Amino acid sequence: MPLVSPSLPPSCATQTAPQTVLVVDDEPVARISLTARLKRLGYRVIEAGDGKAGLELLRRERPDLTILDWMMPEMDGPTFCEQVRRDPEFRSSQILMMTGHDQPEQIAEGLARGADDFLSKSASKQEITARVGAGLRAANLVRTIENARDEIQRKQDALERELQSAVHYVESLLPIPGMLLPGVELVHAYRPSLALGGDLFNVVPWGDRLLGLYLLDASGHGVSPALRSAAFSTFLRGDSLLHQVGSNDPGAILTEANKRFPLTEDGNYFTIIFARLDLRSHTLSYAAAGHSGSFLHRRSGEVSWLKHPTLPLGFDCSNTYGTVDIPVTPGDRLYLLSDGLYEVPAPTGELWGQARLEDTICELGRRPLAEVISRTIDEATRWLGHDRFPDDVAVMGLEITA
Amino acid sequence: MSHHTIFSLEEALALVDHDRDIFQAMAKLFVEHGLKDLAETQAALAAQDAAALARSAHRLKGAILQFCAPAAIEATIQLEELGKAGDLKSAVKVCAKLETELLRLLAALRHVLDKGLSA
Repeated sequence: MPLVSPSLPPSCATQTAPQTVLVVDDEPVARISLTARLKRLGYRVIEAGDGKAGLELLRRERPDLTILDWMMPEMDGPTFCEQVRRDPEFRSSQILMMTGHDQPEQIAEGLARGADDFLSKSASKQEITARVGAGLRAANLVRTIENARDEIQRKQDALERELQSAVHYVESLLPIPGMLLPGVELVHAYRPSLALGGDLFNVVPWGDRLLGLYLLDASGHGVSPALRSAAFSTFLRGDSLLHQVGSNDPGAILTEANKRFPLTEDGNYFTIIFARLDLRSHTLSYAAAGHSGSFLHRRSGEVSWLKHPTLPLGFDCSNTYGTVDIPVTPGDRLYLLSDGLYEVPAPTGELWGQARLEDTICELGRRPLAEVISRTIDEATRWLGHDRFPDDVAVMGLEITA
Repeated sequence: MSHHTIFSLEEALALVDHDRDIFQAMAKLFVEHGLKDLAETQAALAAQDAAALARSAHRLKGAILQFCAPAAIEATIQLEELGKAGDLKSAVKVCAKLETELLRLLAALRHVLDKGLSA
């Protein structure tokens, strides 16, 4: 909204409707005088004879500026100001209080109770012009800020709706927990951050004794990494892998994925662990690309992190990824985790870290898998100090029961 | 007594940017209601209601300020202050002074209205 110069009548300074000034004074002679002067300055003037009527008019007409007398029947000027400041919709209204005095105590009281400025009842034409102009400039600035704030809020709301929609989509892609195969129980947890990351995990059924599972993380935050992860998960479907990789070997799958998912123009990439569980040979085979957040918790209590220094996908299309085979036995549990769980910062900035995560899991020991995962997230939440994780938290736990 | 010694027509007209119609409307209104406003002030004093005295003096002051009548203005300012201070004893004398000055102002305004502003 363009600002109106106090030296120009508002109707000349802009092509828009004149600004509105509300005059509230119970004394009609003084009100006529001020109203006439304001009209001559080009303002639209509305009038009220007491504070109560003035308040009703302010709510109905939303004037750009209100000039009111201090002492009035029904509701005096300071009470009028307090009522306006308490109303969230009108609290930023600009109010000029008229006073016959200029005692500092009275001005201080008026300011404390909500007046923006004062106008002496015996003010000169120049002073009235200057103070009204200043009040209207302030009103314009406040309205500009409020409009900008409202616009930002509208955009933020739209963005959050989009993110929520993306969250629902990602959740629809997650596997159904329970017995995946005879002898394999799956429990998982997914806590999308407010900004939404690109975490995604799933299982790939390859028969009743063989399955694949993966946890991937697209770099960045927002709808874009969530959609890139969703696109990647399409590549990792069983039929797709059969056609495009021709193998269920984790290393071969990541090597092919590395060619198909190069760095984006913005430099975004994927980290992933892909594992194959073969219940015939009780072998866990896995390959990882830039992922170091998974481990095997043996029935014996021993913890083996599935860590090997590897590049994330997309950095070097000629890179190959090897498969590591390790034996598993009934009672062993496999945890695939996104870094959003163990890289949560305490209020001091210190990260929770993999060591504390491992200690927590070990202390929970052989409690039911769902309880272990739930209480581990609770522990991370306590470390964080609140429940709004700065990054997605994805946890997939598998227990080999037979 | 000339109206010049009671109020300043020139200054009062300047307050309304020399809009004679507005001045006449204000003067007519005050001539009609001035005595009623004075009666309210006197009633507040008679009732020993200091707050009401301050309020009615304040209201009268708002009107009289528009006519640039220094003696009447001074009386309303004093009366408002005395009302706020609760000094009703001192207010009796000032209220009498206000009555005198207000009657003079009303008479002067009537005179100006009867003769016309160009007179």
